[in-house]
Amino acid sequence: MSSLLTFISVNDGKIKRSSLEVLSRCREEAERLGLDNEAVVVAPDASNYSEQLSGYGVSKVYVVEDPIFKNPLNTPLLKALDAVIEKAAPRVVAFASTEGSKDILGALSASRNVPALPDVSSFEVTDSGVSGKRPVMAAKILSSVEAKGDTVLVSVRSGSYDLTESSSEPEVETIDFSVSEEEIKVVLKEILSASGDRVDLSEAEVVVAAGRGVRDEEGREMISELASVLNAGIGASRALTESGAYDPSLQIGQTGKVVSPQLYIGIGISGAIQHVAGIMNSKVIVAINKDPDAPIFDIADYGIVGDLYKVLPPFIEEIKKLKVS
Amino acid sequence: MKFYICIKQVPDVNAPLQIKEGQLLQDTDRMILNAYDASAVEEALVLSEKHDGEVEVVLIGPDKAKETLRKALAMGADKGTHIVTEDESYDSAVYSKILTAFFNDKEYDYIFCGKQAQDTDSGLTGGMLAMQLDLPYTTNAVGMEFENGSILVKRQGDAGQEMISVPSPGLVTCSNDMNEPRIPSLKGIMQSKRKPVDTISTGDLGLSEDDLAVRTQILSFEEKPEREAGRKFEGEPDEVAREVAKLLDEEAGVL
Repeated sequence: MSSLLTFISVNDGKIKRSSLEVLSRCREEAERLGLDNEAVVVAPDASNYSEQLSGYGVSKVYVVEDPIFKNPLNTPLLKALDAVIEKAAPRVVAFASTEGSKDILGALSASRNVPALPDVSSFEVTDSGVSGKRPVMAAKILSSVEAKGDTVLVSVRSGSYDLTESSSEPEVETIDFSVSEEEIKVVLKEILSASGDRVDLSEAEVVVAAGRGVRDEEGREMISELASVLNAGIGASRALTESGAYDPSLQIGQTGKVVSPQLYIGIGISGAIQHVAGIMNSKVIVAINKDPDAPIFDIADYGIVGDLYKVLPPFIEEIKKLKVS
Repeated sequence: MKFYICIKQVPDVNAPLQIKEGQLLQDTDRMILNAYDASAVEEALVLSEKHDGEVEVVLIGPDKAKETLRKALAMGADKGTHIVTEDESYDSAVYSKILTAFFNDKEYDYIFCGKQAQDTDSGLTGGMLAMQLDLPYTTNAVGMEFENGSILVKRQGDAGQEMISVPSPGLVTCSNDMNEPRIPSLKGIMQSKRKPVDTISTGDLGLSEDDLAVRTQILSFEEKPEREAGRKFEGEPDEVAREVAKLLDEEAGVL
């Protein structure tokens, strides 16, 4: 019972930034308490990531490799994590909060019979478990929470911690794994990918988000152009994913994704609490809206009151100029 | 085809709220059916209408939450069970244990839950329940249809949408992006008053105090550190757009 274990999510050969944020926090806590800072990678090519992890002060990497992990299925992942937790007996298993970790957190908590604190914005390891803060009531307020147990599962909202580097030479331990077809009770038929070449919204350094004010193809083209100039991820409010104007995977907010970019630009977005719940971890918020009373102006660092169709062309042009110079 | 839907009464997150000495003061008149659960009920009703099924709802909560159970019946659910408890400290694990005890002697094809409660946003209970009942499951459904006797769920994942076939008996947690829950008609409301509701206690399910002990708890509430409103720019679109772009570069340093 002397380690903190971070689950490392990977995507296309790269470790997700949100996992490294969690790992950075775990290293701080491990140093404070004299615990081992360990990580687990579950992927078809899991052993390829230990070098990337050596920059984050990891003493040991548990590796579970199997072609089955190419696909997002909960049963094999649960089985893999169950085996690793059994072996590592960590005080904490920490996840970045993603749709993938949300899919398994409850089930893992029940199968290991350990408590879970989901979606915290901060946490610390205590003598009896973990304490933390989590946004509740559509992220309008914070609750202080605690979990008591020898092992506690925690998932952390993206953007809650900064990356801090510290080099180490992690030991790699491969965990034997096999899963039979009978064990996997659900069947993945197909993945309808949003689009391969788009910037991953929850990891993006810059996010351009479209709201109800973006009413037609012309508006959407401006959004795409601005995003391309800024190399930004495109997001949307619920109104625009529901109407079919944008893919549902691009929805930002309480129901959709939490973003944590350096720069968030909300365009034609009024700032309903359900949307704002997903953008509060942004460093700089810019809002463009023609309604001077739109609630998004209450949280925007820079608010432009005006018709987006008139504001965006000179805005894009000026940013292009600044980018070149 | 038999569906069970787990529902919860939650405070309306749009209602004003107040924190006093770490306690959350809520307007108890503004309690509603959790939006994600409402979508789960709606989806079950649609599937049940198409495939000649039966929809039962189960709710854990205080006596006052019966109005929420009636709302689901007014939407069209056939029958309800109210597991009454006035204890407000239960965490997801305890809710899932109570539901596990409830479902142990039941037969069903599918259990649907909302993917999370809209007040706490924990999203644990569905997965816990599936594990405890040893059911195949998937979460965050944004669409469903029947295919060869199984439910084909469109699930919103991190990178895109995953089409996952969940065999019966199975469990699915639902997003509110799946449908627009129907507003109960006057006829529906009248009929709901005659629909059967079982009212039981946790003791009736054979659960002891120990079974209901929590391992996670909320200690207090606090205001979030406010983001201060920054500067607002009004005027000629061309001028303000260029000005803000320059500020993002020179002042904020984010370009």
